[in-house]
Amino acid sequence: MIKESYRQKDDAELVKASLNGDTQAFGEIVTRHQKMVARTVKSMLGDSVFSEDIGQEVFIKLFYSLSGFRGESKLSTYIQKIAVNLTLNEIKRRKRFFSMFSQKGNSEMHEFEVADHDLQGAREATEIVNKALMVMEPKFRVIVAMRMLQGYSTKETAEILNLPLGTVLSRLSRAQEQLKDILQKL
Amino acid sequence: MNISKLKDLLIRSLDEDADPLEVSGKIEAAGVSYNFRENFHDKVMDKIYSTGSAVVRDIEFVKSLNYVFYRIALPGVAAILLLLISIFLMEGSLSLNSFLGMGNSNDESIIYLLTGN
Repeated sequence: MIKESYRQKDDAELVKASLNGDTQAFGEIVTRHQKMVARTVKSMLGDSVFSEDIGQEVFIKLFYSLSGFRGESKLSTYIQKIAVNLTLNEIKRRKRFFSMFSQKGNSEMHEFEVADHDLQGAREATEIVNKALMVMEPKFRVIVAMRMLQGYSTKETAEILNLPLGTVLSRLSRAQEQLKDILQKL
Repeated sequence: MNISKLKDLLIRSLDEDADPLEVSGKIEAAGVSYNFRENFHDKVMDKIYSTGSAVVRDIEFVKSLNYVFYRIALPGVAAILLLLISIFLMEGSLSLNSFLGMGNSNDESIIYLLTGN
């Protein structure tokens, strides 16, 4: 278990300690940011074993690139960038893989039926969001995940995705149109 | 919250003037949450600090090797082609003698080489 003292340290101190070989410090970084990584990876890839693997890869990559983290941005932003890159790579890999077996251009398009009643619980709400996100194009899906689930501003989203602000704004507007269409069919 | 309200909230969350933090908080309060499995933390730590790290380092090594190979392969092939062309232009053929720098005009018997006659 992670000592209480580590919980009080800020990210910069934990990074420094991790670089000096303190395993518990890195453990605290994982504990602190794993929910954020789960939101990104699972909302974009769906809830599966593969998402868990990508999540683990995010922290393994972080560990080996920690010495390159100069602290110019927040650690959470740095981790988010790794998570987004690995997730988008996985989506591309899947697309390539499925395109070998399917003649259909958009293999992820499905029709869903959800009756309008009171939500039974958290699982149902998450399921609706997942279904909607899985139908969206990846370039819009990532914008929606950053904004809707992570609560990042347009500027922060642009920084994480390494895109111009104008591109994020136009994608946000198109993503909203796409989301409206999808949710109407759900 | 019913489904219509949730859908409305999701759509409004992408409004340009919406406060992203406030909206994401509301969406989370509506029950939309994502978590890894319970043993996620332990798995990550195991992979990094135990035997897994060797595997990761191996993968990194293979990746680096591939990267170096691609960087070297093209200039290498280009250099070999240039060498072949220059040998062909200078010697007129690509025989073994040409490669060894010996002309085909002389009959290299051991006596000729020793006496020069």
